[in-house]
Amino acid sequence: MTAQTSTDALHRFSRKHIPWLYYIRRPLVSLSSFACILIYAFLLPDKTTVSTFIFYLNLYAFLAILLGWSVVILTDSDKSEYAKMLVAFFLLFMLGLLFYRFSGADWARLVHFFFNFPIMQGSWHVLFRGLRTTLILSACSFFSCVFVGLVIAVIRSFNHRSINLLITIYVDVFRSIPVIVLMVVLFFAFPFLGIFLNSYLTTFTALTLSYGAYTAETFRAGMETVSSGQVEAARSLGLSHWKTLQKITIPQAIPIVIPVLTGNMIAMMKDTAIASIVATPELLKSARELYTAKTSPTPLICAAIIFLAVLLPMVRLVNHMETRLQKSGPHY
Amino acid sequence: MDPIIKVNELHKSFKDLHVLRGISIEVQRSEVVSFIGRSGSGKSTLLRCINRLEEPTGGEIFIDGVDIHEPYIDINKVRAEIGMVFQSFNLFPHMTAIENIMLAPVCVRKISRQEAKERGMTLLNKVGLADKADEFPEKLSGGQRQRVAIARALAMQPQIMFFDEPTSALDPEMVGEVLDVMALMASEGMTMLIVSHEMGFIREAADRVLFLEEGKILEEGSPDQIFNQPQHQITRDFLGKVL
Repeated sequence: MTAQTSTDALHRFSRKHIPWLYYIRRPLVSLSSFACILIYAFLLPDKTTVSTFIFYLNLYAFLAILLGWSVVILTDSDKSEYAKMLVAFFLLFMLGLLFYRFSGADWARLVHFFFNFPIMQGSWHVLFRGLRTTLILSACSFFSCVFVGLVIAVIRSFNHRSINLLITIYVDVFRSIPVIVLMVVLFFAFPFLGIFLNSYLTTFTALTLSYGAYTAETFRAGMETVSSGQVEAARSLGLSHWKTLQKITIPQAIPIVIPVLTGNMIAMMKDTAIASIVATPELLKSARELYTAKTSPTPLICAAIIFLAVLLPMVRLVNHMETRLQKSGPHY
Repeated sequence: MDPIIKVNELHKSFKDLHVLRGISIEVQRSEVVSFIGRSGSGKSTLLRCINRLEEPTGGEIFIDGVDIHEPYIDINKVRAEIGMVFQSFNLFPHMTAIENIMLAPVCVRKISRQEAKERGMTLLNKVGLADKADEFPEKLSGGQRQRVAIARALAMQPQIMFFDEPTSALDPEMVGEVLDVMALMASEGMTMLIVSHEMGFIREAADRVLFLEEGKILEEGSPDQIFNQPQHQITRDFLGKVL
């Protein structure tokens, strides 16, 4: 409401003191100036053809006109959101184009190194094998850490003081040790104790221990959102503590916990990349091997693209679940 | 006849706060006992101690002649015999009305789902909500929620019912429908312990009224005695404010 009234005041002010803003905001003016900008973009001189002064004069003049035009349109409350979106994309596109044309980067070399097509073709099948390892590892670790977290949360709910102290120590310690340190210790130090874990087991154990602690906290927080009245009602009906957890607390906590758990899972999938330091042949490790073998950073770019392709939908999914949860409320 | 509830010198403190300071009561079968008093006088805590939602700090409680603080007592069996109705309803939001009612008989009494459902429908009929069986609590009004909560407690076929300010969270126009159900139960011979501020209802339905003040029973008697000839000045002041 206040934002609305303040823009109204702004409108009144600008209508009174800067009337020309209203002439240039007419649709026809916007469109024709757009055409002019396009023509100007095509006419921009190359660095080599004109003097440096003329070149920079033109470049900055064009930038000023482009930005000014965009600002005038983007701040116009009469234009539709759709039009503004187009203008925003156009602005980004033009800036990219200017960078491409005038930054002086050697694009051919860049493409040769980072987006080398023959190397890409040679890398995909190795990288996908790495991706498979990454997916399997993170799926196994995820299920085991959900199991660990749930068991811990259930045990903690019995409010046994000394056991809870142990749990708190576990949770706090493993939340404060970086996963990479945990993996290095498990892989390089534990053999001296006679415990030999191969690289897969090391990754699995490290991720389970670390994210198990996070998951336990998540479940505890979820279970605490279930009001004490719910528990009292169940207990007063004669349900045991165990039955109350099973029928009342956990079913109500789960919808609250799921978005957080999915977020944990995304973080964990990214952390599987750390496993490359203990020679687990997961995605990043495969990419780095290809990088050395083919002496080209292209496989690393490919790995980044694969991570993006796998994780971006999951990130969107978490957002979607969170907004849905907020809209429906924890439906009680 | 032995009293169904016998409370002996009950004490309860929350850290420094001494809420109950030695309460002794006896309740006979089929008796309707009502607790009145100012807020903070320990009425709710008393009910909650009797079914051990709160652990008393001292004193004895016998339900049906059994000391419920003996270590060999299964408190869930004791609680199954005591239905409790809360001020804030506390229906389970992830279950429909009929599922709310069926939960305890199926989980605790181990009767079949079919039988539990039939029993639940009978009870919903009794509280006048048979058509709301498959609604989730969020779709019900406050009065309807509280009636479902009563049916849920009754489904365990308890010997005793506790009501902890059952109408305090309700809009005024919904108080009547809940009190009607309670009056029906009283007429059927249920042993009831009621904490309430509905003085009109208490005067009609209760056999005995106890006035609590600062964790002690200050005055006790029939509704007629308490409401018409209160002995203590504090009781008179309280009744003067609420009536």
